[in-house]
Amino acid sequence: MLRRFEYTQARSVEEALALWQGSPDSRYLAGGTDLIPRARATGRAPARLVDVKAVPELDQVRALPDGGLSIGAAASVARVATAPEVRQRFPVLATCCQALGSYPLRQRATVAGNICNASPCADTAAALLDLDAVVVASGPRGVRRVSIHELFVGPGQTSLERGELVTAIELPAASAGARGQLGRLTRRQGVDIATVAVLVTVLPAGSLRHRVALLSVSPTPMRVAEAENLLDQKGPDGAAEAAAIARAACRPIDDVRGSASYRRDMVGVLLERAVHALAAERGGRGA
Amino acid sequence: MNARWVGQDVPRVDGLEKVTGAARYTADVKLPRMLHAKVVRSPHPHARVRAVDLGKAARAPGVRAVASGQDFPFHVGIYLKDQTVFATDRVRFVGDAVAAVAAETPEAAEEAAALVEVEYEPLPALLDVRQGILPGAVLVHPQLGSYQKVPWITPEAGTNICNHLKVRKGDYEAALRGAAHVSENTFVVPQVQHVPMEVHVSAARVDLAGKLEVLTSAQSPFTVRHLLCACFNLSHGDVRVSVPQVGGGFGGKAGINLEPIATALALKIPGRWVRLLIDRAEEFYAAVVRQGLVATLVTGVDRQGKVVAQKMHYLWDCGAYGGYGVNVVRAAGYTCGGAYEFPNVCGDSIGVYTNRPVGSAYRGFGMQEIHWALEQQMDMVAHELGQDPVEFRLRNCLGPGKRTVTGQVLDEHAGRVDKCIHKVAEAFRRPLEEKPGLLRGRGLACAVKAPAMPNDAASSVLLKFCEDGVLEVLVSGIDYGQGLRTVAAQFAAEALGLPLHQIRVRNLPDTDLSPYDWQTVASRQTWATGNAVLKAAEKCKAQFFEMASQVLHAPVERLALEGGQVVDRGGQGSVPLTRMVMGYQFPDGHTIGGPVAAAAHHVPEGLLFLDPDTSQSAKPVAKWTFGAQGLEISVDPGTGQIQVDRVVACYDVGKVVNPGLIRGQTFGGVVQGLGTGLMEELKVDALTGRVRNASLVDYKIPTSEDLPGELEAHFVETPQADGPLGARGIGEHTMIPTPAALANALFDACGVRILDMPLTAEKVLRALQAKRAKE
Repeated sequence: MLRRFEYTQARSVEEALALWQGSPDSRYLAGGTDLIPRARATGRAPARLVDVKAVPELDQVRALPDGGLSIGAAASVARVATAPEVRQRFPVLATCCQALGSYPLRQRATVAGNICNASPCADTAAALLDLDAVVVASGPRGVRRVSIHELFVGPGQTSLERGELVTAIELPAASAGARGQLGRLTRRQGVDIATVAVLVTVLPAGSLRHRVALLSVSPTPMRVAEAENLLDQKGPDGAAEAAAIARAACRPIDDVRGSASYRRDMVGVLLERAVHALAAERGGRGA
Repeated sequence: MNARWVGQDVPRVDGLEKVTGAARYTADVKLPRMLHAKVVRSPHPHARVRAVDLGKAARAPGVRAVASGQDFPFHVGIYLKDQTVFATDRVRFVGDAVAAVAAETPEAAEEAAALVEVEYEPLPALLDVRQGILPGAVLVHPQLGSYQKVPWITPEAGTNICNHLKVRKGDYEAALRGAAHVSENTFVVPQVQHVPMEVHVSAARVDLAGKLEVLTSAQSPFTVRHLLCACFNLSHGDVRVSVPQVGGGFGGKAGINLEPIATALALKIPGRWVRLLIDRAEEFYAAVVRQGLVATLVTGVDRQGKVVAQKMHYLWDCGAYGGYGVNVVRAAGYTCGGAYEFPNVCGDSIGVYTNRPVGSAYRGFGMQEIHWALEQQMDMVAHELGQDPVEFRLRNCLGPGKRTVTGQVLDEHAGRVDKCIHKVAEAFRRPLEEKPGLLRGRGLACAVKAPAMPNDAASSVLLKFCEDGVLEVLVSGIDYGQGLRTVAAQFAAEALGLPLHQIRVRNLPDTDLSPYDWQTVASRQTWATGNAVLKAAEKCKAQFFEMASQVLHAPVERLALEGGQVVDRGGQGSVPLTRMVMGYQFPDGHTIGGPVAAAAHHVPEGLLFLDPDTSQSAKPVAKWTFGAQGLEISVDPGTGQIQVDRVVACYDVGKVVNPGLIRGQTFGGVVQGLGTGLMEELKVDALTGRVRNASLVDYKIPTSEDLPGELEAHFVETPQADGPLGARGIGEHTMIPTPAALANALFDACGVRILDMPLTAEKVLRALQAKRAKE
C-alpha cells in the first residue's frame, strides 16, 4: 500500500537541499522507478519526497573540458543510452543502460537513481565501476566528489551522507574509448533483472587495461581487481584463470532468480565468454 | 454447405474498439458514489481464527462498511462448497480472506483494513501435497464430510482428499506381468498463475428496493449469479450480473471469485456501489492458481512396442479449497491416458488439499500437466526400446475404432491425432542446422482434451433484426480475445447470407437481458454458441420464408436465400429481407409477420455419467480435440539456457472457422506453454507458506522477445458430427503439449531428462553436469 507522503519539487540544487532539511524523513526523487514500487510494497513511504527532475542543470549530459563526461542526476537511462557523446566515447555505459528494465522504464529511470538505490543488480553500476566514474554530491556541508568504488556499502546502502544529493556522475577522460562485453543472464530474453551479469571492459589503446565488474553476485556491484590484473598480464589466454578468480571472489546468495552455486558458476562462464568476445572483436578490427 | 464466411480470414469484429481503447473493462466503469474495498488476508498458512475485531476499522475515517465471517458464514463453490465468503473458524492459506472494509477512497480502505484485529492460533501447515495423503497428515478441512457437492465429486471425509476418480479398464495387473518391458517414472508440475493482464475486479450494489447488481470481470455472468444466489440465499430474479470487456481470464475468472466479498460489503450498505479491485501481488497469492501435480506412471510394453499396461497415479495439489479444482481432478481422470489407446488401465486422479494458494481452472484444465508426464513417458519408453518416438506414438495412438480409457469407442468424426503426428514429423524432415557452440534437438508431443463441463452445459443466443436490416446477435459467451464475437458473426452471416458489416454481435452479457450461457470455459464457445447461432438463424430464415411464401405466392420449399433476398427458385419473384425484417406490408396496407427474431440453444447430446467404480462410459464427453506439436531448440551447454527456434503445431479442429484467429490461438497457446515450460513457478516458502515471487519482477512470463524464431500452425479438418459446420474446440489445446515437447527436444539435444517443470537454465545445466560426471 502506498502511504501518504508530501510531494515537493525543487527548482535548484539549493532548494532541493533546503526542502530535504525541512522534514525529518525526506528522500530525493528522480525517476522513482525503485522508490515508488518499494514504498507501495513495504507500506512505508518517506514523509517527504523532494523531486529533483525540474532542476535545470541536473538534466544535462555534457562534455567536460578535460575530455570527460558529466551526466546529470535527472537524465533518464534512455537519454544516456542514446546520447551521441555516450555512444561514441563511452559505449560500455550505453550497453548497460540498454540492458536495464524495459523501454518505458528506461524513459523514466535515471542512472543516478540506479546507483543511489545501490542494488547488487544495478545494471549501470557495472559500466560506472569499469569506467572509474566519480559521483558528485551536494550536501549540507558542501560539494563532495565520491569515487564510484567507494559508493556502494551494502544492499541499498551507499556512503552518501544524510541529505546529500547526487547532482552528477562524471566519467573520466581516461576511460573514453573503452570497449566492453556485457554477459547478462536472465530468466527470459528481455525485461528482466540479471540473475548474474559480468562486464569485461578494455580501456583504450595505450593502456589496454582490463576491468571486470560483476552484478547480482555480492551485496554490492563489485570489481574483481585480481582477475583484471591477470587479464592485463595474459590477455585472453588468462580467461579461464580469471574466471576462477572471479568465481572465488564473488559472494552470491540463493534467491528466486537462481541459486548461489549456479550464480558462481555463471560468473565464470560469462567472464570467459566476454573475454573471448572482446578478443575476437579486437581481432576482427585487425588490432 | 459451400461456405462463404466461415473459413475466411475476416478481421476481428471488435478489433477497432480494442486498439482504440474504446473497449470498456470493469475497472474503467466509474460507478456513482462508488466505495472501494480492501480485503484483510491471513498471514498464516493455517491457523484457527480466535477473534476478529472490526471495531477500530469501522470507526476509521471514510469507512462505510465492514464485514467478516461472523456476518457471512455462508458456503460457496461451484462443484464442492468448501469455502466461505470469509474465513470463519480457520484460515487455510496465506491470503485467505478474513474480513473486508469498504471506504470512500482506496487509501482509506487500505488504512482501515490494517486496523482490523484478528487473533490467530497458528496450526501446523500442510505445504507438500505428498504429505497430504499420508496417515496422520494435518487435516485442512476437518468438516469435509459435511460440505454440499455435486453427485459426481467424491471427497473422502476424514482425509485431505477432495476428489478421487478411479479408472479401471481391462486387467492392468495381469497385463503388466506379461509385459516385455516396464518403465516407471514420477513427474512434477508446480503451481503457476494465470497472470491475466486485467486482475480480478468485482463491484456490487444492493439498491434500496433490495435488488443486487454485480459488475464483474468474469468468465460467466450466469454462473456467478447462480452461485451468488446459492451463497446468499437470494432469488435469481433479484440478482443481476453483468460482465464488461474482460482483459484475460485463462480459467482464473471461471466460476466465482471476488463477487461474494463485494456482495457481502454491498449488503452492509444498501444504495452504494462497492468495488473490490485487487492488486497484482494479491492476484499472485490470493486469487486462484493452477494446481500442482505429482504424476507417477508405469508403462508395460510388449515385444512389438505396443503398450499393454498403463498405470497413472495423479496427485493434485488443489491448495486450500477445491471448489473448482475438483473438476480438474475429474477431467484428468477420464482423460488420464492422453492421446493413446491403452488396453489395460489403472488410473487414479486424486485431489488433495494443502495450505497453499487455491487451485482452479487454468487453460487446459489439467491436460498440460498430465501431458507433461504422459508425453515424456512415451518418449522415454520409445528410447528405452530403441524405437523411433514418432513410430511408437503412431503405433499406440487413439483413432477411429480405438477405445479410450473410459471404454468409449471413437468414431470417424473423432479427430485424427495420427494425421497431426504425421504433419509435424513431415515438417521435421528438414535437417536441423548446426549452430556453433549450441546443442540442437527436436521433440514432439501429442495433446488431447475434451470439454470438462456438466452434461447439460448450455449456450443460448438471441438473434433479432433492426429496422434497417442490421442483425443483432446476442451471445453470453465472453470474448476475452479468443474471437467469439467474430466467429459468431461469421456463422450468422453464413446462415443468413448477410454481409458481415450488417451484423453486430452483442456480448457484454447481462443476466437481466442476455440469453443464458453456462460458462466461457472448456474451449466450448465456438462449438456451442456456433451451433446455437446456426439454429437461431434457421428459425429467422423460416420466418422470412413464411412471409415470402405469401408475398411471392410460392411454396416454402421453392424458396432460397440469396444476396439479402428471398428468391423463388421456381418462378421470377424475389423479396428483399429488408422489406420483411419488421414484418411485410402489402400495397393495400395489410401486414403479415412482425419483427424477425429467434432464440436457440445448444446442449450436448447423449452424454452419460461415468461408472462410479471404473469410470467406464460410452460417451462421457461431447468431443475430443487432438493435436501434436514439434519443437526445435538450441541448448547452451555453458549456461543451460534453452532457445526455442521453431515450433510446428497441428490440430484436428474439424473446421477452421477463421484462419487468422486460429493462428492467433495457436501462437498464443504455444507462448503460454513455453512460459510454463521454461520459467513459470509459484515459489511457496516451505516454512511460512508465503508466495515468494508474488510480483511481475519475480514471476516471469514470456514477452514478445521470447517468441520462437519460427511458428507454424497446420490444421486437419475431420468434421465434428455435432459441430457447427464441423468445428470443434481449440482454445486450450494449443498450450497442452508445449512443455512436454520442449522436454523431449531437450533430451534429443543433449540426452538429459528433467521430470519437474519448468526447464530453468539452472536445472538444465545441473542435469548436463550430472550426465558428464557419469560418462
